[in-house]
Amino acid sequence: MSAVFKLETFRNDFSFRNSPAAIRRFPLPFAQDEYMYSVNIEPHVPGARDSVLEFAFDVDEHYVAECRERELVLAEDPRRFQALPHMMSAQWDCLELLMDSLARDYPQYFSLTKTGNRWRWINRPLELDQSFIFGDARSLPRAPLDYITRQAQGDFVLMDQREGDLWIEAGMVTTQADWSLDFDLGMTFKEWHGPVPLAHELNVFDRALKYLLNLRIGQPVRRLNWTMTVHPRLDTSPENYPQWGPDRAAVTAENAGDLVHLRVELQGLWRLPRSNAVVFGIRCYLISVRELASIPKWARRVHRVLKNLHPALVDYKGLTRYRDAVVEWLAPYDDGAPTSPGAAPE
Amino acid sequence: MMSAVKSKPSYLPLAADTGGRYHLLLGLAEGSACLLRVLQELQNFAPASWQRTQVLFASTRASAAAAEIKADPFEEIGFEGAVLFTDGAALLAHARTILERSLMGTRVYIAGPESFIGRALQLAAAFNLNKDEIRAEHIGTAARRVHCVHCRAGTEDVRTNIVRCSGCSRWLLVRDHYSHRLAAYMGVIVDAEAPGELPPIREIYS
Amino acid sequence: MNSAQTLNVVVTAIEQVTPLIKHFTLAAVGGDPLPAFSGGSHIIVVMHTPARAHRNPYSLLGSPRCLDRYEIAVRRMEESRGGSHYLHDHIRVGSRLEIAHPVNLFGLDKIARKHLLIAGGVGITPILAQLEELQDGSTPFELHYAVRSPQHAAFAQRLRERAGASLRMYYDSENQKLDIDALLSGQPLGTHVYACGPAGLIDAVVATARNLGWPGSHIHWERFAAPPVGDAFEAYLARSQRSVRIPSDRSLLESIEAAGVEVPYLCRGGVCGYCRTRVLELDGELVHNDHFLSDAEKASAASIMPCVSRARCERLVLDL
Repeated sequence: MSAVFKLETFRNDFSFRNSPAAIRRFPLPFAQDEYMYSVNIEPHVPGARDSVLEFAFDVDEHYVAECRERELVLAEDPRRFQALPHMMSAQWDCLELLMDSLARDYPQYFSLTKTGNRWRWINRPLELDQSFIFGDARSLPRAPLDYITRQAQGDFVLMDQREGDLWIEAGMVTTQADWSLDFDLGMTFKEWHGPVPLAHELNVFDRALKYLLNLRIGQPVRRLNWTMTVHPRLDTSPENYPQWGPDRAAVTAENAGDLVHLRVELQGLWRLPRSNAVVFGIRCYLISVRELASIPKWARRVHRVLKNLHPALVDYKGLTRYRDAVVEWLAPYDDGAPTSPGAAPE
Repeated sequence: MMSAVKSKPSYLPLAADTGGRYHLLLGLAEGSACLLRVLQELQNFAPASWQRTQVLFASTRASAAAAEIKADPFEEIGFEGAVLFTDGAALLAHARTILERSLMGTRVYIAGPESFIGRALQLAAAFNLNKDEIRAEHIGTAARRVHCVHCRAGTEDVRTNIVRCSGCSRWLLVRDHYSHRLAAYMGVIVDAEAPGELPPIREIYS
Repeated sequence: MNSAQTLNVVVTAIEQVTPLIKHFTLAAVGGDPLPAFSGGSHIIVVMHTPARAHRNPYSLLGSPRCLDRYEIAVRRMEESRGGSHYLHDHIRVGSRLEIAHPVNLFGLDKIARKHLLIAGGVGITPILAQLEELQDGSTPFELHYAVRSPQHAAFAQRLRERAGASLRMYYDSENQKLDIDALLSGQPLGTHVYACGPAGLIDAVVATARNLGWPGSHIHWERFAAPPVGDAFEAYLARSQRSVRIPSDRSLLESIEAAGVEVPYLCRGGVCGYCRTRVLELDGELVHNDHFLSDAEKASAASIMPCVSRARCERLVLDL
């Protein structure tokens, strides 16, 4: 187990690194040399073997370290997990989805046995063995969503569907790219995405909302989103902005390759059966610019995408202070040669 | 800096909703003018609608520059029975008791400064009233209530783009991202990336 | 919906619960638990008859907590195009059926302060499942159920157990009339009303609620009307490059499906908007029978809902 899962940190000494295998399977969000928003939703069907899309919820070499990091965030700020009272049924739905998926896709790490309502969940990497009654919150040490998401990578948001809209009313959010669950709890889908520039003019959220309102059980969808982070820091919350904000000014053209990380969110959306709610899984992948540049096609691609990025996006994604430094660091890797379409490394 | 935030609330001039059966009007300070207009429209539509209409009004002066506001401006147009208060909190406490007895078909109209609207909307949400049943017009000061995302304290009556948090003393950028649940705008530390470097402070929500 | 997304089930019990209504119990072939669902959900039952395929929606009436079975109730329709007759006359215990995953267009509003449930006849079915969700007692509710006579009250025992004092029955045979206006007039803020049953009942509830000032978001209804019949006509599917003939007793959607072209759908009843199709050319007029398009959209004839709407035309070209 310890050979597979690394003990690394996402704070203080930032010991996080990607193995060569992790680098090659990284979900680069750029299929071409330019980037603009789109409703880039596609069915979340099983993808290529060993890729991040192979399974419903990807468990990788950073699993144990990320779960530890989540525990640290919650110890400092318990309000990163919240659930309005009427979302209990959705919490159970999400627990079932995660447990069923992880046990099915990673039987070497997880087991789930059910005898009617009596379930037994075993999580070997985290050394947990929990018997409980599905639907009975007293039989678990924490609220269902809280309990299971402490054993999953990425953030989870539950949205109630009513009045022709989706409402953000429960979530575990510790690895976010600069948005606050505590502030946004109770907002509608479009209100939540209010601060995103340009996308509203393109009707991106109207169309996304319409699509999600018709999401069917058993037919999840996914999309990729991206930003950049200084240091492999998962918790870039507004709450802790005083801690990570200053990092942005520390980037130079010399250290950009090691300090600056591409941060890609693999977002999955599932219809939940008993609550009819929608769960939004936001899985965060980090890779340093230096690790990216180890793949020649990616070095050229990322150099061009960043160099030509729309100013409103540079600003909104928080790249203003260091975008130029990253572009300068990558410039020697870009000989102007054409890049093949698609994100796969060559 | 950033393009307009779509989660900033927008308000429309109040108009009577003749599809409603009962009408509850809540106003603070300059909001009386808006409520008067609604009352007139209701009467023009159906004089009997006044029998199913209630008015709660607080004549607190929002700022020294505000014109003097009459204590009961509603009597002048012949509407009797408006309940008068001297502050918004007492008005909303009374509104709560009315909502507890209110029936489906009720429309709620709110007029006044934005922070009064925010508090009234919080109250209405507790009764499952939604945007189809509530109309709000912003009139009077644009001063904001700011929620500090770091220490979670609320800072009232903010008129500037940057404000010192009443809880943790950090200098906060007053954003346009608004939470109906908290009835407040988001405040985020403004000088995290360059501590001590503040943008010019301007009064923009007067 | 894709044809790949169906489940195979076997009929494990059939009970005649009223002179017109049969109660079918279904289990997964293989005995696995069936997919979980929320109260108010329906399944599409696919029936292959020698003449044609029927795809009819039926509400799940059983408890969402019991996933070893799905329960539906089918009323024998007088002017049926075959679906309900097929289920009544040709399906026996042991018969196999193909069904789609549950879809919910009639769910309870989770933050309502009170639920007012109004049902007529077989319309009680989705409400039975909703009642199961209300058993935790966290939100007050009332159920008003109108039927022809006591022998036509389906699932009366189950209703009394689940709704108790909150149940009120109205027997047409005993001249007990459901006074919708009185019922809707005195409801506290935050009440949601849910109606399922004959078109007349639903129309009356919706119209009365609107008249009394209820906002649309607090008025919920579920209609499972069979698609209306009409004159036969032809349509040309531009992208598939085929011509489709629509007989008088088959819907446009069914005819397109019979021609081997798939159209996304959810409710098959003109409510959800999922099958909305662009009209590329029209020489004639569309007959809109749906409840989804706005009046302006219907007038513009730019779109049609093939599940229930038809046309009277010389030429109709669709973007399919």
